[in-house]
Amino acid sequence: MEGIADYLDSLIGGVDLTFYAIAIGGLLWGFFVLRPWQDDANYNTALLERTGYLIQFGAMALVITQLAKIGLKIWLMAVTLGKSPFPAFFNTMQFQAGMARAGLALILFFYVKNQLMPHLRQRQPWLNATLLAMPLVISAAWLVHGASRLEDRALLMTLTIAHQMAAAAWVGGIFQLLGIWSLKRQNAIAVEVWPLVLKRFAVLGTAAVLGLVATGTPLAWYYIRTFQGFIGAGYGNLLMVKIIMMGLALGLAWLNRQAVSDYFQNRSLHTLTARVPHYIEAETLVLLTILFTAASLASQPPSVDIPHLTATWDEVLNMFHPRIPRWESPTHEALLAGEAGRVAIVGQVPSEAATAWSDYNHNISGIFLTVMSFFAMLSYHPRCHRWARLWPVGFMALGVFLFFRSDAESWPLGPIGFWDSTFNNGEVLQHRIATLLVFVLGWLETRARISNDPGILPYLFPLLAAFGGMMLLAHSHVGFEAKTAFLIQVGHTMMGVFALILACGRWLELKLDSPGNNIAGFVSVFALFQIGTILLFYREPLY
Amino acid sequence: MKSLRPILFAALLASSGAGFGHAVVTHHSLKLKPVPVNQASQVELNFNSQVELDLSEVFLVSAGDVMTPINALPGGKPGQVMLELPALAPGEYAIKLKIFAADGHLSEDLLRFFVKETH
Repeated sequence: MEGIADYLDSLIGGVDLTFYAIAIGGLLWGFFVLRPWQDDANYNTALLERTGYLIQFGAMALVITQLAKIGLKIWLMAVTLGKSPFPAFFNTMQFQAGMARAGLALILFFYVKNQLMPHLRQRQPWLNATLLAMPLVISAAWLVHGASRLEDRALLMTLTIAHQMAAAAWVGGIFQLLGIWSLKRQNAIAVEVWPLVLKRFAVLGTAAVLGLVATGTPLAWYYIRTFQGFIGAGYGNLLMVKIIMMGLALGLAWLNRQAVSDYFQNRSLHTLTARVPHYIEAETLVLLTILFTAASLASQPPSVDIPHLTATWDEVLNMFHPRIPRWESPTHEALLAGEAGRVAIVGQVPSEAATAWSDYNHNISGIFLTVMSFFAMLSYHPRCHRWARLWPVGFMALGVFLFFRSDAESWPLGPIGFWDSTFNNGEVLQHRIATLLVFVLGWLETRARISNDPGILPYLFPLLAAFGGMMLLAHSHVGFEAKTAFLIQVGHTMMGVFALILACGRWLELKLDSPGNNIAGFVSVFALFQIGTILLFYREPLY
Repeated sequence: MKSLRPILFAALLASSGAGFGHAVVTHHSLKLKPVPVNQASQVELNFNSQVELDLSEVFLVSAGDVMTPINALPGGKPGQVMLELPALAPGEYAIKLKIFAADGHLSEDLLRFFVKETH
């Protein structure tokens, strides 16, 4: 159960930040973008209520998530320490600040529900709600990285909550835009509203990006300090991933901004309605992934604290160095023979068989994915489309391969039975679920590509891809061997980024018109190829 | 068993692992002051953050991975922890830490060391 508790605990941070952004970003949206008290004739009740409901939803979801975080923490401590964490847990900053934050979010929820919602066109309730949200924002300062530091706590806590607020303004605004777009599709709002809010949001969005950079740069400097800390440790690596993803999000935001600018020159709504909403959907996937990565970043030791455990530039590059994939696996007997020594704490003996077994699994999986990506590329050619479109069948084959290879000590290869291993070991359980999902994903996507009327089936693949990338980035962590763990992590995080690109590309391929859909589709397939390449050349450090 | 996370995630799905790492030992006395043979001693650990000792556990790991809980006491400085080691015979040992940091992250760490006769 420890594995499951740990896993859920690592994910809930991203969920928490998402709901926080919906609540706080929604208030900033109302106050700075919508400004309903200015009595804009275009704002109807449906629009204002949608805005209010989103804020209300975010606040209540934040209450539940914060309480769930505390519950998970208690569960994790109980299973890890093997004893009840009470009463000591009551005295921790985590419990006290966490409960305070949940209480403040609940107060905000009730205020929005009972005072703001009935008076959405008045300025005072908006102002009150925003002021009421301030203690909620500030309470988070005792739950962040900086709160536990030994020096410069106040500065780090302040910078971090300012960073969170800037992120909330951007992400919360994007959720509001999605809400308004859904009203627009139902013709529930005036035609003028969509371009108007897009234009106004550009100002808040720009301010949010500037805020992110202004607060993120000193934080990065404080926690990293050196170039080696940036490229050779988990903290720096996740920050680099955040920067790459922020670049992606800014690229999509720039496309939106251009479209809005064009609209106010030529008054053609085509791009604003046929492309921009889908850019925003893709931007949402990217921003959510950034939030999950940010939560993961908070669980990493800052690079500045572990200079003796950081990898060199050469060691990092070596993880991506092209080489002949491993074609031969060690025997199952050789693998099991080396396990006792490898997992021992005292008298540990690194297992070459385990490393070779792992390399083989990765490299063969890389072959699966690169071959699939070649067929996927061919499927864009009219002469090959008919048969090459079946490339997702490869996922089903990969699922079968993983089923046999992922947990060698368990059934079908190992001595531990199927049910025993599945339900008494969190890691095996998750491998089993993941393996099944790989298989099901292949089956769904194959059906989506051959069916004449696939319905929502095609959209499951990009959503699952984004989810997978998000999970990968959200669950980066440091084990006992920090440097080895980082060298393994560095490939994973890059695959997480490519999984996100794959997801966004496929989403836009399905949603955009020509030629954007073709470009996006090719980018998506290229990202799959990149994931395959990373796996193809993967070599695990010996430990 | 080495995890297959990269493969599984490359196939766009989630996997699992063990222990976070936020509170880490930045300095310890094991490197500077060897543990004496057959004599109780103290080990000083310095963490990069404040830790909640009431919610943490420290074990001495000896041959055969036998784990024995040991006392951990707050040191004189913030982030400093003193461990009380029993008298140890020559050999290889490790200190296994499960530390709850003040920022809410539960970390696990491992410090390997040898007890050697000095001549």
